[in-house]
Amino acid sequence: MAREQPVMSAATPPFVAPRIAAARWAWLSRQLQRQVVPRIVLLLVCALFLLPFYWMVNTALKSHQELLAYPPTLWPHELIWSNFQDAVDYFPFWRYLGNTSVITALTILGSVISNPIIAYGFSRIDWPGRDKVFYVVLATVFIPFPVLIVALFDIFARTPRPVIEAGRLAWEGNWINTYLPLVVPMFFSNAFWIFLMRQFLMQIPTEISDAARIDGASEFRIFAEIILPQALPAIGVISIFAGLHAWNDFLGPLIYLQDEAKYTLSIGLTFFKSQREIQFSLLMAASTLIVLPVVALFLAFQRAFVEGISLGSIK
Amino acid sequence: MKSPAYSELVRKMRGGRITRRQFMQSASLLGVSATSISSALRANPARAQGASEVTFWTTHTEPDLTPLQSIVDAFNAENSDVQVKLVQVVGDETDTTKLMTAVRGGTGPDVYMLDRFIVAQRAAEGVLQDLSEFIGSEDLSKTYIPFAWAEANFQGAPYALPFDTDARALFYNIGLLKEAGVDPAELDVANGPVTFAKLAEIANQLNETDQDGNFSRVGFVPHINQGWHYTYGFAFGGTFFDASSCQVTPDQAGVVAGSQWVYDYAKALDAQKLNAFAGPFVVGQEVPEEQDLFVTNRVAFVVTGDWFLNTLAKFAPDTEYGLTLIPVPAEGDESVTWAGGWSMVIPQGTKNPEGAWRFLQYIAGEPGQRAYTTQSAHLPTINTLLKDASLFEDEQHRFFAEQLLPTAKSRPPLPVGARYWDELTSAWQKIYLNEEEPAAALATVKERVQPDLQGFCPLEAS
Amino acid sequence: MEGGVASRHDRVSEPTHHPMTPSPHHPFRLSRKQRRNLVVGLLFVSPWIVGFLAFLVYPIIYTLRISFTKYSGFGVPQWIGLGNYQALLDDELFWTSLYNTLYYTALAVPLGVVVAMGLALAMNQPLPETPIYRAILYLPSVIPLFALSFIFLILMDPTKGIFNQVLLRVGLPNVNWFGDPAWTKLAFVFLAQFGAGQVALIFLAGLKGIPSTLYEAAMLDGAGVLSRFRNITLPMMTPIILYDLILGLSLGLQVFTQAYVVTQGGPADSSRFYVLYLYDNAFRYGKMGYASAMAWVLFLITFVLAMLVFRWSRRWVYYEGA
Repeated sequence: MAREQPVMSAATPPFVAPRIAAARWAWLSRQLQRQVVPRIVLLLVCALFLLPFYWMVNTALKSHQELLAYPPTLWPHELIWSNFQDAVDYFPFWRYLGNTSVITALTILGSVISNPIIAYGFSRIDWPGRDKVFYVVLATVFIPFPVLIVALFDIFARTPRPVIEAGRLAWEGNWINTYLPLVVPMFFSNAFWIFLMRQFLMQIPTEISDAARIDGASEFRIFAEIILPQALPAIGVISIFAGLHAWNDFLGPLIYLQDEAKYTLSIGLTFFKSQREIQFSLLMAASTLIVLPVVALFLAFQRAFVEGISLGSIK
Repeated sequence: MKSPAYSELVRKMRGGRITRRQFMQSASLLGVSATSISSALRANPARAQGASEVTFWTTHTEPDLTPLQSIVDAFNAENSDVQVKLVQVVGDETDTTKLMTAVRGGTGPDVYMLDRFIVAQRAAEGVLQDLSEFIGSEDLSKTYIPFAWAEANFQGAPYALPFDTDARALFYNIGLLKEAGVDPAELDVANGPVTFAKLAEIANQLNETDQDGNFSRVGFVPHINQGWHYTYGFAFGGTFFDASSCQVTPDQAGVVAGSQWVYDYAKALDAQKLNAFAGPFVVGQEVPEEQDLFVTNRVAFVVTGDWFLNTLAKFAPDTEYGLTLIPVPAEGDESVTWAGGWSMVIPQGTKNPEGAWRFLQYIAGEPGQRAYTTQSAHLPTINTLLKDASLFEDEQHRFFAEQLLPTAKSRPPLPVGARYWDELTSAWQKIYLNEEEPAAALATVKERVQPDLQGFCPLEAS
Repeated sequence: MEGGVASRHDRVSEPTHHPMTPSPHHPFRLSRKQRRNLVVGLLFVSPWIVGFLAFLVYPIIYTLRISFTKYSGFGVPQWIGLGNYQALLDDELFWTSLYNTLYYTALAVPLGVVVAMGLALAMNQPLPETPIYRAILYLPSVIPLFALSFIFLILMDPTKGIFNQVLLRVGLPNVNWFGDPAWTKLAFVFLAQFGAGQVALIFLAGLKGIPSTLYEAAMLDGAGVLSRFRNITLPMMTPIILYDLILGLSLGLQVFTQAYVVTQGGPADSSRFYVLYLYDNAFRYGKMGYASAMAWVLFLITFVLAMLVFRWSRRWVYYEGA
C-alpha cells in the first residue's frame, strides 16, 4: 500500500498507472471523497452561514421603498450607497471608531500579556495547592456578570485615577467616564482564557522544561523563550476573542462611559432604534461598516494564525 | 518672571475662554514654573468663573431628539449663567440601569427625562430628589392636568415635573373600507364610538388569506401598536388598582372582560395564525415604521397614539384615513382611552441643584412644552397650553388634545409600576395567543405583583 | 520533540502524582524545591490573584451581604436574613425562568459541541480555498449581537422571512419562531449555533495539534475515516471538548443579550431566562437584594453542574503530556 500524502492542492498530479483501470477508479473515488464531497458540503454550510451577513449588506443597500416590498427582494434593485453616508452622519461614526479601536487594542494587549503568564503558573510549575487554586479560577466562570455590575461600579467610582499634572503624578476623580474600567481588568486575566491557555500548555511535554531547568534556565526564560513560541496558536485565539469581545462589548461601555464623545460603536448602533421605530437600512449600513474591518483583519490574520497552528503541531 | 503673554493666558482662563488644560499646556510652553502654574490653577478653580453646567440625560432618539435639543439651545441663549448639555444615553421607559448605576457612583446627571408612570417606583427606591423645597408654596396641581400631576407625586411629595403626554385613538383606512364595500361614514366620529362587536363585524369582511392559508390582510389585529392590556381594560370599564385596600386589581371584572374580548376575537381567527400575520415582533417590540401593517395597507384598523400622525405623514402621505374614539363594549357606553407621557426629574447627588431646577422649570414649563408640542406631535400637560388653539393647527392633532385627553385614564402611579407593566404584558401575550384563559392569566399577575406592593402599603393619595 | 506522542496519560481532576507533592507523612513540610516552586508559581499567577481579589472577591462578598437584605440600590439596606431565599422558593416565576434556562442550556450546549466540531473539521479540509471557508464560517460571530438579533428577526419572519419561505417550499408547516411560545427557546438555540465559529476556531487549533504520525500509523493499519475520527481525533480533542462544555454551560446558563434584545422574555414568559429575570429585579424593579440572592443560587447551581461535568469527564478526557 502506498503511503498516503496529504493532498495540498487540487493541482497535485495524480500518481496513477494508466494501464490499470481499477487504479483509475480508486483514484477517482478518492478524488471524489477528498475534493468533491467536502466542497459540496462546505458550500452548503457556508451558504447558510453567509446568509445573515448577506442579508445585512442587502438591507443596508435598499431604499425605503424597497424595504416595504412584500415579499422582500432578494437583492437591492437600486443600490442606495448614500445609506452608508447617512449612517456615518447619524452619529459621530469616525470618532466612535477611533474610541473602539483604542479600547480593542488595549484589551488585546492586556489579554495577551496576562493570560499566558498566569496559565503558565497554573500548568507548568508544580507548586503545592496549585490544582485547588485552579478550581477557584474555574469557579469564577460561573459568576453571573449582571449582579457584579453594581459592586464593580462602586469600586471604580471610588478609585482615584492617576494623572500627570504639571509634570508630577497625582491622583484625582475616579475611573467613571474613562476607558480604565473597560481595559484595566483585562491586564488581570479572564478565567476562560486562563483555562484555554492552560489546556494548551498542558499538552506540551514536561521533558522540555525539565531539560531547560537542568541547564539552569530561569523559570521566566523557560516561559518566554521555550513555551511562549509553542503557545502562539492559543495566543492567536485569545487575541481574536479578546479583540472581538472589546469590539462588540455593549454592557461595559453602556455603564461606564457618560460623555457622548467617548462612546463606542456598539453604543452608537442603538441610536438607530428609537422608542417606536428602527432605522433599518441605516442600522444595517453602520453594522456592515463595523464588521468589515474585522473581516479584513481576520482574513489577513488568518494566514499568520494558521501558520501558528502548524508550528504548534510539529511535535 | 511674568511675561505679558502669561498674564493674557491667565485672563483668558478666568474668562473661561480657554480650558484649564489648554492653560497648562500654553503656560508650560512659555517656560513658566510648575509652582506658578499650579498656584494660578488653584486660584481659578474650575467653574468658579462663568456659567454653571447642567447635564441633561435623555433616552429619547430621533425624531424627538431634535426638538429637545432646540429647547436646550433656546434655554442656553436666554441664560448666560446656566448652560445645559444634552446627552443621549441608552435605555428605555423602564430600563434605567444607566441612571441607577451612575447615581450610585456619584456621577449622575443633573436632570433626567423619565417615563412618568415610573416616577413613583424610582422615588420609592430613593433615586430621585424630593422637589418640595424647590417648589415652595406654589400650587402646581392647578398648573398641570390632574393625572400627570398625580403621576409626578409619591406618598404626597412631588418628585417630577410633568412634560408631554399622549392619547390613543382608533385609526381606520378609508380606502380599504370602501374597497370592501363598507361605508366609512359608519365610523365617523360625529356618530360617536362604534361597539367592539360592530368593529369585529366590519373588520372580518376585510380578512384575506393566501394560497398557503396564511393571512395576507386582516381587518383588525387587536394586540399590535397600542393594543395593550391597559387599552382594553380601560375600554371595558376596568380599574387596575384599588386604593382603599392597597391592592393591584388585574383580576377586576372590567379588566378581565377586555381581555376576554381579545381572547375570543383571536380565537375566532386562529390566534397563532393571527399572531404570525402580526409579524415576528411580540407586543412592545419595535416594528420598522415603514413596514407597519397599517402603513402598508395590510390592516384596516389600528389602535395607536398621536405620534402616529407623523408616521403616516412620512411613510404613507397618500393614504386616506380617519380617526375615531376607542370602541365601546355596548351601545351608549362612554368611550375610554388612556394617556401616558414623560417627566423631568432631578436625581440624587446632583452637583448643581439650583441650575437643574432653573432648567426643569423652563423645559417642563410653558416655553419648553410649547416648543415640544409644535415640533413633535405629542401633547402638553399644562392646562393653559391645552386650551391654546394656536398649538393645534392640525385638525387631527386637535382631536387628540380636545376630544381624547380630557377624559383619558392613566396607569396607576405605583411604586411597582414597572413590574406591574411587565407582568400584565406577560399575561397579555398568554391571552392573545390563547395560551391561557384571561381570568387565570390575570390572577397570576396579581400573585406576582401584590407581594412586591405590600411592603409599600398604605399608599398616600396625592 | 518527536517523542511527545508516547507521554503518559493524566486527568485533570486528579492531583498530579509527581515526586514534588508533599509526602503523606509530613503534609505541611515543604522541601526546598517545593518552596521555590511555590514562590515562583505564585509569582506567575499573581496578576490573577490581584484581579480576583479586586474584581471578583469584593463584589461577590458584597453581593452575598446584599442577598440577606431588602435593598433598592439606594439608602440603607434592611437586614432580612434568609427572607429573599425563602421568597425565591415561593416565586413561581423564579422556577419558570430556571426551567427555561435549563431547557435552553440542555439543548444549546451539546448541539453547540457537535456543530463546532463539524465546522472545525470543515475548516480543516486540505483544500486551497479553505481560508475563505474559515472566514465565512466565522463571519456570523463578528456581527454585533444587537444587529445580528435584528437580522434574524427579519430572516425568521413568519410571513416573509427567507427561512420560512424555504420551510413552506419543502412542505413543512410555517413556524412563528419568536412569536409562538412553543418555539422561542428553540429559535434561540438555533440562533446560538451561528456563533459556533468562535469555538470552532479553538477546535481547529486542537485538530492542528494532533500529530500527523498518529493518522499515518492508523492508515497503515487500514483504519477508515470514521474509525480514525473515533479512535484518534475524538480522544485527542477531549480536553478541548471539556473546555467547550464548561464554557458553554457557563454562557448557556447566563443567556441574556439575545432575549433582552429580541423578545424581552416573551411571549408568555417562554423566554424569561434566569439572568433576564435577575437583571429585571436588579435594574427595573429595584430589588437588588432579591437579585443578589438569585445570583447566589445560580452560582451554586452552575457550580454543582460543572462539578458533575468534571467528575464525568474523568471517564473520557484524555491528556497527552501533562
